[in-house]
Amino acid sequence: MNLVPVTYKGGIYRHDEIVDLIEDLGGYIIQKHVLAQEVVLQALVPREDIELIARIGKPLTGEITPSPLVGTEIAVVTMSLEIHHLPHASCDVAEYIRRFGAKTNMVGLARGFGKRIAQLNDEERDVINEHDLAVYLLGDFETCIEHKFPVLRRGIHVPIVVLGGPSTETLKKIIDPPVDGYVGNVGRFMHRTKESDELEMLDQVVTEITRVLDKKRDETAKDPPSVSPARLMDIIESQVEEIHEVLSPTPVTVQMTGIRVKLPYDTFAPVLKGITIEEGVTIGEVADVLPSRMRDYILIRVKPFSETNIMV
Amino acid sequence: MDAIEYFEVECPEVAGGNYYRRIADVVLLDHNLLRVIKKLHIFIDPQVPIFIAVGVTKKIPHVVRIRDFADVNVQEQKVTISIGDEAYLAPLLKILWEEYGKERVNQPDRFTIVLNIEGADRARIEEIPVIDPSESLYKDLIYALQVIQPEGFKVRRQYYGKEKFYLVASENTLPEHFEDLVREKFALMGESL
Repeated sequence: MNLVPVTYKGGIYRHDEIVDLIEDLGGYIIQKHVLAQEVVLQALVPREDIELIARIGKPLTGEITPSPLVGTEIAVVTMSLEIHHLPHASCDVAEYIRRFGAKTNMVGLARGFGKRIAQLNDEERDVINEHDLAVYLLGDFETCIEHKFPVLRRGIHVPIVVLGGPSTETLKKIIDPPVDGYVGNVGRFMHRTKESDELEMLDQVVTEITRVLDKKRDETAKDPPSVSPARLMDIIESQVEEIHEVLSPTPVTVQMTGIRVKLPYDTFAPVLKGITIEEGVTIGEVADVLPSRMRDYILIRVKPFSETNIMV
Repeated sequence: MDAIEYFEVECPEVAGGNYYRRIADVVLLDHNLLRVIKKLHIFIDPQVPIFIAVGVTKKIPHVVRIRDFADVNVQEQKVTISIGDEAYLAPLLKILWEEYGKERVNQPDRFTIVLNIEGADRARIEEIPVIDPSESLYKDLIYALQVIQPEGFKVRRQYYGKEKFYLVASENTLPEHFEDLVREKFALMGESL
């Protein structure tokens, strides 16, 4: 079954029918927002059933649109989050990517600013590596980017998309070895993006991120995870009572090859490891349950099929 | 930017310079400082790295004294101050409390202050300075320049006074001859420090 990421927007009236429908079809609801009279569902649904959901949703003024970033967690790495440098370009970027379904986390570096003095500490490095992709927002000067970027990428093994003030061509020229994606003309600016050319620039950022993630998806498809992270989320939500008491917007965050569970590691790691997925296969057998560097959360990395020889 | 007579951003990197021109424009507008600046020259060299901003302000309003916003009426046993502009009330009260003591300063309503003192000199009270707007204005100006400067330039030297101001910032120790650089930038605007 080929699951595709979509966003469903519709009225709150009878929206539970859509939720049931998606679940019955074998899809997963990743996130549900209720905004006054409107409901927004970010879901993974079978490709062949999109038509059906659209047809049933139509009388409920529902609309279904593809959103390529649903089910991904992206780190927006910004060089500083200092209050007197607000508004940061990173705020707009992080917010805009969210509209396409991604879960974005801002990683404000403690000492990311400057040219010579820029650094990345081990905690920042590990937190960035827990994501599917890192978007680096750099400054306006190519001299500085060329000088500091090697320091900021040290130890990062997730795909990187670089945004900066110089043009895309210049960024490609000065960054060596190359990273996965580049968008130029998005450097430091001190105003909110409102004009159409600025929104177009943000669209370019989304296109570039989608391209890089699609490439990553194709690669994981060659050796798929032993269990779909969305399914894992579903199982945890139905079997671990305490997850419903977590107040974060996404108590279980779905990534491309794993999930982040926002429960304390020491208490819940053994519980999660022991949960049975299907026919005696437990989570501990098909995934690594690791402590996350983000608070005391749990990070579950699903092992690929080639490692476990199990597909559930 | 027509309110400013001279506004230049000098930078070896053309694209970077253009971004900083826009940043400076936005920040000064947001901080409501465009109307007080007459000339501004910003120099950034990311190679060094160094950031220099030099400028000249327009004529700044003088020190605000009591006579500028209030009427003073001296009687034998007391002095009545009728206030026209409430904006200066808080600092004025603070000054009067310090000068005469809280027990002698009464404020029967928002616009009236009564001082229970004997034989006061009207002219002396009228001349009491309440606020020096240039002080806060230059502070705002320097703060705005710190917002404009590239993030992470923590080593700074600043100066203001006599309608001129400058800010030099870098992440490294400032060069010894930075005052010469500042003079050079003032000369570009046809001014001297």
